Amino acid sequence: MSQTETSAAESVVPILRLRGVGRRFGGVHAVRGVDLDVRAGERRAVLGPNGAGKTTLFNVIAGEFPPTEGSVELFGVDVTNKPARARVPLGVTRTFQISRLFGGLSVADNLYVSIIGAEGGHLRPIRNAKDRAYHAQARELGDRVGLGGVLDELVGALSHGEQRQLEIGMALAGDPKLIMLDEPAAGLARAERVKLTEMLLGFDRSITMILIEHDMDVALTVAEHVTMMHDGRIVVEGTPSEIRGNQLVHDLYLGKGHRNHE
Amino acid sequence: MIPARLQWPVGFGVVLVAALLPFVCSSYTTSQILTRSLILGLAAASLIFLASLGGWVSLAQLGLYGVAGFTVGNLAKADGGAKVFAMDIWVASLLALVVTVLVGLLIGVIASRSEGIYFLMITLAFGVIIRLLFEKATDLSGFGGINQIIQPSLLGSAQLDPERIYWLCLAICVLVYLGVRYFARTPFGLAFQGIRDNTPRMRALGYNVTLMRTVAFGIGAFIAALAGVLNVWWNTQISPGTIDIGPVIFLLMIAIIGGLYRIEGAWVGALIYVVLDNRLRSIDVVGERVATALGIIFLLIVLLSPGGVMGIYESLSSRWRRTGVTGGATSDGDGTATPTVAGD
Ligand SMILES: Nc1ncnc2c1ncn2[C@@H]1O[C@H](COP(=O)(O)OP(=O)(O)OP(=O)(O)O)[C@@H](O)[C@H]1O
Ligand SMILES: [Mg+2]
Repeated sequence: MSQTETSAAESVVPILRLRGVGRRFGGVHAVRGVDLDVRAGERRAVLGPNGAGKTTLFNVIAGEFPPTEGSVELFGVDVTNKPARARVPLGVTRTFQISRLFGGLSVADNLYVSIIGAEGGHLRPIRNAKDRAYHAQARELGDRVGLGGVLDELVGALSHGEQRQLEIGMALAGDPKLIMLDEPAAGLARAERVKLTEMLLGFDRSITMILIEHDMDVALTVAEHVTMMHDGRIVVEGTPSEIRGNQLVHDLYLGKGHRNHE
Repeated sequence: MIPARLQWPVGFGVVLVAALLPFVCSSYTTSQILTRSLILGLAAASLIFLASLGGWVSLAQLGLYGVAGFTVGNLAKADGGAKVFAMDIWVASLLALVVTVLVGLLIGVIASRSEGIYFLMITLAFGVIIRLLFEKATDLSGFGGINQIIQPSLLGSAQLDPERIYWLCLAICVLVYLGVRYFARTPFGLAFQGIRDNTPRMRALGYNVTLMRTVAFGIGAFIAALAGVLNVWWNTQISPGTIDIGPVIFLLMIAIIGGLYRIEGAWVGALIYVVLDNRLRSIDVVGERVATALGIIFLLIVLLSPGGVMGIYESLSSRWRRTGVTGGATSDGDGTATPTVAGD
């Protein structure tokens, strides 16, 4: 392929391409037949009722486990059966629906470990000149996600809201290109959600974002494209305004009082 | 806890006092209490290293200590074991460290895939296998052990100069202690703690968890190997009984008495164990029932504080600090009160 063709193709080829992706857990078919393209810089929300398969889809994209059917392509590379650690260097990061933090380490050290993970310096048993920069970077990142005042606190002592902020901070470590957020607003108070929405809107355009979120205010404000899942399948795709007006979405989701469910 | 700025002076003071002890203690105490505590403490430190940073309780550490000891015994000049090599003691000891680390890495490859109770069982199995191996292979372990293992000449005579090996052990323990403290703040060390706290997150962050655990287990094996080599230098003999299931449990007890979460606890636990073991035997009612008496004391300490003696010390010092500042409790930090920590 010639030089010009490559750069021309870049704007069209999606950074994430799922084809016929499915995942079974024994008898449960958690995800099935999912085709999805996400382009660079896109902000996409994935909606759907409990058990729709959203988190499972994230796990397949992040490499927590491989799909049982179909293929996953990231940045033009087929990564279907590659572990998470082969995807991180491509710039793929994620948060977890239930916070997964290092409770015995300080906030700054949680972020530092995240940065080292992205940098690939895992087995270095000595400190060197770069570490000073990484530690500084970690503290700066903590500031950026609103944790500047608790950088030296142990994570176990943080409030729920602060732990959710740290989740996002850890996913922002090391210049991610694709960031996947699994219900970042879960359990947040109203004021905290407003702050979260602002933070998500402020993400650099070089970062592509996929967002699972039950809170419609957050999801439909941040996202430009919405994918609605139900029973492991994609049932509706559209813009936030199309989604607001969609009858099926109302029946499946809004109608069931999820919005007030918190 | 000791405030950060006092840590170095306090640590230096402790080491200085420890270094001067042979001048005031009898030869017997220096050798049988102090040196023995340092060596057992070092072995326990290899266990606490994995437990405090990696959340792993390994029962293979004494087996690895034995591998080091038997390797020295076989390679150096000694009575029993493979006599063909008769190497210089330094060369034999260096090779023993290498061999033990390799064995540790091998165990690590298998054990690093498991956690919790499974890890405990796998490492116990390796501990037992190592012991059986040496017991059955009398070519390697002699009949009833390897005796009169030659000592490095710089240590003089074990009987006449007990303080020399004591100082050597002290120096190595200090180095290991500082090394572990340093390691905990390196990228590898912090990442190892990350694995302890949340393995799935570490995988999502791109870490090769299995590889890191394997290497960390190798580091633990190295610490155990140092203890194993020092043990045969000090004791000049080793037998399969040294690494029997009983001593394995006692080493675990030492680590738990000291506190599995702090590396200092290794030597605190070892000193308590050695002193008790030594004193209890001379009490009539205890006599041969030392193990039972130790077990009861162990139970009391664990019931009193799951964090062992270091845990008791920590909760006492934090209680003392809390009552010390009750008047100005709100003055610390950013105003977010933390009443939850007062519970324990
Ligand atoms: N590791 C697993 N093992 C077995 N079953 C699983 C596993 N993960 C998910 N499932 C099942 O797959 C289905 C989809 O789960 P998933 O967590 O993907 O839903 P979700 O859309 O994220 O729901 P929620 O909104 O509640 O987070 C559920 O029926 C769930 O029980
Ligand atoms: Mg979910």
